[in-house]
Amino acid sequence: MDDKKENRTVIEAEVPMGTVHPAALEPYRLRLFVEDEIVRDAEMTVGVNHRGVERIMEGLPVEKANSLTEKICGICSNIHIWNSCRVAETALGIELPERAMYIRVIMGELERLHSHLLYLAHGCEVLGHETFSMRLFYIRETVMDLLGMIGGNRVQYGSAVLGGVRPRCELDQMRIQKITEGMDLIEEKLTAFADRFVSDPMVMSRITGVGVTSAEDALRLACSGPTLRATGVKSDLRTGMFEYDPFEFDVITQEDGDVKSQLLMRVFENFEAVKIIRQAIRDLPDGPITNRSWEMKDVPITKSYIEAPRGTLYHSYALEDGRVRNSVIRTPSMANIGAMQYSAIGHHITDAQLCIVQCDPCFTCTDRAIQIIKI
Amino acid sequence: MDLIYSLIAVIGTLVVSFIVSLFLPGIERKFIHARIQQRVGPPITSPGIMAPIKFFFKQTITPESPMPRLYNALPLISLIIIVILLLFLIPQMYFLGALASIIAIIGLLKVEEIMYMFMGSLSRSVLSVRMPFPDRAKGAAHPETPRSFFEDLSSLRAFRLIAFGSFPIYIALFVSVAMAGSIYLSDIIAYQQIHGPILFTVAGALGAIVFFIGYMILLNEYPFSILKGKPDVVEGPYLEYAAKYRAYVYMTRGFLMFTLATLFATLFLGIAPNILNPSFIITLIVALIFPMLMAVMSAFSPIFTYKQFYPTVAAVSIVGVLAIVAAFL
Repeated sequence: MDDKKENRTVIEAEVPMGTVHPAALEPYRLRLFVEDEIVRDAEMTVGVNHRGVERIMEGLPVEKANSLTEKICGICSNIHIWNSCRVAETALGIELPERAMYIRVIMGELERLHSHLLYLAHGCEVLGHETFSMRLFYIRETVMDLLGMIGGNRVQYGSAVLGGVRPRCELDQMRIQKITEGMDLIEEKLTAFADRFVSDPMVMSRITGVGVTSAEDALRLACSGPTLRATGVKSDLRTGMFEYDPFEFDVITQEDGDVKSQLLMRVFENFEAVKIIRQAIRDLPDGPITNRSWEMKDVPITKSYIEAPRGTLYHSYALEDGRVRNSVIRTPSMANIGAMQYSAIGHHITDAQLCIVQCDPCFTCTDRAIQIIKI
Repeated sequence: MDLIYSLIAVIGTLVVSFIVSLFLPGIERKFIHARIQQRVGPPITSPGIMAPIKFFFKQTITPESPMPRLYNALPLISLIIIVILLLFLIPQMYFLGALASIIAIIGLLKVEEIMYMFMGSLSRSVLSVRMPFPDRAKGAAHPETPRSFFEDLSSLRAFRLIAFGSFPIYIALFVSVAMAGSIYLSDIIAYQQIHGPILFTVAGALGAIVFFIGYMILLNEYPFSILKGKPDVVEGPYLEYAAKYRAYVYMTRGFLMFTLATLFATLFLGIAPNILNPSFIITLIVALIFPMLMAVMSAFSPIFTYKQFYPTVAAVSIVGVLAIVAAFL
């Protein structure tokens, strides 16, 4: 990790950007320390969008608190409520109906599809390739329609509830048929896009060898999720999650750790998500979708880790009289900020935003993590 | 009678050119970008006509700049320079001699380029240093480093464009000079009336390609839009323009698109802009084709960094030099 720092010879100027910047979907402050137009060091600061969700959760009935976690992120809302329910279900020993687990996996993978497609579209936009960006948004529309069909909303579907999934999210034959058709369409369009994308020499020239993070550096920076896997580290929490036991899928990795690897990583992961959804639809068991036979009791702090589209998502809280206590949530972008700063070093200032975007930042979700430094 | 004819030709050409130029940004966005990206796109009058009209009726604010009046004056100066440039291309103005020559055209285009440098260095947007953010709190990295607005990067890049980026278009201009053996526009047109358009020669065809790339660079269009790239410098030199000054910016861009296409028609097809000459329709067609081709190129390209920009400019410049050599042969 020090090799880039050793190259840092002269810092001529600081170019600050943000917190409002068109290339950034969310507010953050970026200070680039440059020599000519080459970034020699970078500093990112988040924290201007702190909403205090954990504080609001304090003392709320667990069902309400779970619903609140869905508001943390507009992209991966489902994974938050799923993980929050998972905390209580683990703590209270609630057994999930098999059909509910399958539906949760379907929703989770649909969300992964839409998150990765949004990531790819944003990446192309920062590259300056608006046509690719628009085409990816069109592909994503199919996923959004499916999510809307199942959950009733395009963004916050509220599918997971304690003990299973909401009745609204039950999958009948019509819905299953639509999901099947949607998966065929996404696979076809995404394959065509990927072929076009990798055969574009101008795009490849912009993204190959840019923002490289080695596997060792990614581990040292505590990266997680696709950001880590794109450096060649085979690490995916889904392989250890009981919900994913019935499904066969490959953990995708890329070797180079550059922007190209990060982008292609998401493309290939989308194909795996399609594979998982197809298996879930094919093997969808009959039966109830919610287990109502459980009792509330006081439990100590319980933790749950889950593989969100961006990486490892952590939720923990204790229950006291059915109310949430000491809630802590850590989103994947928190772990990946180090890689965002690090990968920009040594590259042209235009590539700096690309280096940040390659790690799939979601700072509005991250802004709950604060560290109080005593002066 | 001749004087009236000339006045009608000059004023009519300027007015028609100006009106057509207002439609070019809309055509570029509606019929090319939007079609390629499979969306509806804005109304054709929106980017070039309705937007400037809207901005003319907005409240004018003083921009954050060390010299706000000069900063605000620059788009208008740019517009005037381009109007003068088009004026010198009209045949009735060829009596001005050296002013209606390639050297004068290059001079005016260079002044136009320098405007971006001034704009960049005079803009101080809130998106950068002026943002009230505690950057230098305890523990901040490199607290003593001098701070720079990102518009300064635009200014620096404008300087680099003057130094090397605009090579292609200037080399392309000299292809017709080499063919006609004169720097005067009247001689270049006369040469083509006798020998046919330069475009249909090997040197002319190569020169046209080089001219087109230079046209895109001068207009800062994707993939060459390093002056106003969204990932870093946003709108770059134009960032602080508001109200009528932003309207001037929009109008200037449209008019520059038209004027450069007219310049191409003059130098490579031998058709000078004159409203009273039926061949003016060809000038209009060229003025439409150029933005359309540019829009197709830009829709399928990412923004270049220097890593792609330098080799592209070098390669295109070499082609331009070959075109000049072919012209001499």
